[in-house]
Amino acid sequence: MTSISTSVRHRNKRVTDGKVRRNIEIFVLSAPAIILFCAFVILPIILGAYYGFYKWKGFGTPSKNGTFVGLQNYVTALSDPNFQAAILHTFEIVIGSLVIQAPLAILFALLLNQKFKGRALIRTLIFVPYVVSEVIVGTGWSLLLQKTGAINQILGRFGIDGPDWLADPKIAIWTLLLLISWKYIGFAVILMLAGMQSIPEELYEAARVDGAGFWQMQKSITLPLLAPTLRIWVFLSMIGSLQLFDLVYIIWGQYVSTTAGVSTMATYMVREGRGAGNYGYGSAVALIIFIISLIVALTYQRFVLSRDLDGALTEQKQAKKRAQKRAKEAQRLAAAAQ
Amino acid sequence: MKFKSIAAATLAVATLIGMAGCGNSNSANDDKTITFWHNASAGEGKQYWVDLAAAFEKKNPGVKVEIQAIQNEDYAGKLQTAMQDPASGPDVYMSLGGAKTKEMIDAGQTMDLTDKISSTVKSDMKTTLSAATFDSKVYGVPVSVEPGGIWYSKDLFERAGITETPTTFDQLKEDAQKLKDAGIAPIALGGKDAWPAAHWYYWLALRECSPSVYSKGTEKQDFSDKCWTRAGNDLKELADMDVFNEGYMTTTAQQGANSSAGLLANHKAAMELMGAWEPGVLKELTPDKKPMADLGFFAFPSVDGGKGEEGALMGGVTYFQVNPEAPDIAVDFVNFMAEKDNQEKYATAFSTIPASTAARGVVTDESLKAVLEYLNKSDSMQLWMDTTLGTNIGTALNSGVVNMLSGKGGAQDIVKAMQDAAAKG
Repeated sequence: MTSISTSVRHRNKRVTDGKVRRNIEIFVLSAPAIILFCAFVILPIILGAYYGFYKWKGFGTPSKNGTFVGLQNYVTALSDPNFQAAILHTFEIVIGSLVIQAPLAILFALLLNQKFKGRALIRTLIFVPYVVSEVIVGTGWSLLLQKTGAINQILGRFGIDGPDWLADPKIAIWTLLLLISWKYIGFAVILMLAGMQSIPEELYEAARVDGAGFWQMQKSITLPLLAPTLRIWVFLSMIGSLQLFDLVYIIWGQYVSTTAGVSTMATYMVREGRGAGNYGYGSAVALIIFIISLIVALTYQRFVLSRDLDGALTEQKQAKKRAQKRAKEAQRLAAAAQ
Repeated sequence: MKFKSIAAATLAVATLIGMAGCGNSNSANDDKTITFWHNASAGEGKQYWVDLAAAFEKKNPGVKVEIQAIQNEDYAGKLQTAMQDPASGPDVYMSLGGAKTKEMIDAGQTMDLTDKISSTVKSDMKTTLSAATFDSKVYGVPVSVEPGGIWYSKDLFERAGITETPTTFDQLKEDAQKLKDAGIAPIALGGKDAWPAAHWYYWLALRECSPSVYSKGTEKQDFSDKCWTRAGNDLKELADMDVFNEGYMTTTAQQGANSSAGLLANHKAAMELMGAWEPGVLKELTPDKKPMADLGFFAFPSVDGGKGEEGALMGGVTYFQVNPEAPDIAVDFVNFMAEKDNQEKYATAFSTIPASTAARGVVTDESLKAVLEYLNKSDSMQLWMDTTLGTNIGTALNSGVVNMLSGKGGAQDIVKAMQDAAAKG
């Protein structure tokens, strides 16, 4: 009797021992990552929010060398027509790049998925702009596109008086969209190609046996099976567009981007925060940008990406619920079939 | 198993220590080493500081000067971050000037040098020391003075049949028209960087507004006087004549042959409004990398009916500040900069006007000599308007000018932009 109870106790102790050790292990192994994450992601966000409540020049500490203004920075930012314009431009870029790049990327990917001579070379070439640094791309294009730049000189040879591609507010945003598409389409194409190559060849064979033509196969097999890839690409593209800074900053600079109508939320933040030395105000703007991006990202994840991310990012409970639902549905169907 | 946990724990601890290590100060804590930050990241200027540090080390055995040359555009941000904790900041650093220096004083990030500057500084730099003086306390040692004005190509002026440089704004406009008729782009302007465009406004305001109204504007941000809008309208008139280089809104000020300075250096435009650093910048941009042979200088013309002081100058003063926690040797170092010999070498290396009046004999460049003449004639010099106003209102002012030039808003919007900026900082 006693011997049994001791052995049970002993076993229990061993089990808890194992658990404790496991927890310690988890803690120790994830500590570096958690510490880094807190120090370089969470803490800056909290500090940014704190600075955002002050009028502060970045010298000394906000509490000593700044003035507490409550939510005034947020009110000023949201009612500043320049910031409103920057938000508008950012969303123009988000939507514009999706609308322009998605069809083009799919077409290119379809083309590059066929077998023809020199395919590897073209695949590489289309990816080149994506690999080149933004600074180089920006400097190069800004020289080419100036009013007296190379492009207008070539146009001049043909008797066309080229417009001011960069400074004209009616044209600048289209120039920017064109450059973004040129730069990032390679990335979209590579993603789409990878997606297409994961579609089993058997499906196409079966369709061919059934007498389907090329375009019909693309429409009924490729596009639906490419949807998960497309959804992920849309997500990445949106996040990229929301954060767009370097191209605009290098080609237009912080001042002319506003008058040319291509300022983005990030260029506004840099100009009014760092450029103007208003670190408190800049932090408030940064937080607004963070919240806008977070809302867009979470909404997209919740309503569009959720089916791709089952169990990975969404709660496991929800996934389980959905699985149960599916099982029930299957049962119901089975019963009906009987 | 056990070994693995221990290994993991060690790794975690090592990471922590490593991270703590990042916070180490970059200024050595002993009294014999000083860290020194400046913004001359290339060319003769960079070499000048290396040589100066070597000379200082030779004069003071055992002392070491650690130099960091920081790209101008990164300089302000880096300095601001480093000085958050003066113990980790540089011991001697180039000043940001104007309102920014004031902020640093308020935050206790710069040393009061009033009783520490040498008698050489007090006597030789009397005229420029005011730029580094706040509430009658001295916070820096000046090295150069850069008044602004209009730099022009004598050859191109001759080709357009202009024999005398303009002294009034109307004459300037006539001459610009003459140049234009001769097929020469009259004025180069780096609109992309905004401040070159805004400089036109600063000067016109200095000419339009009476001295008391001008200082009321720059010191108390009172821009209610009509002269502030008049200055904007003057500039608008000039811009409407289409006398700036084609595509000036996307032209940079100093980078490469396509910049506004590059246009002047390569005879693609006839003049540019700039500070006295211009000869040094042009030198790097001429086809043969030699000083521009036909470079001339004239002061900013007066405006008919303007209430500004006759011949008033505006410009910049470069000076160096000392970290409040720096060793005494750092103060010796800034005093060393001010010595006549070193000032002469400075002026040659940077192709500029030295702050020390004793060293000014070394200026041989014809155009710089012309600047000196104006400098000797006027007894005071205003600092650049955006420097005096501070970056917040200064940035608003600069973007207001750019907006007006691109047709977004008028002269009164420049004034409004400055008033609105007060809400942000």
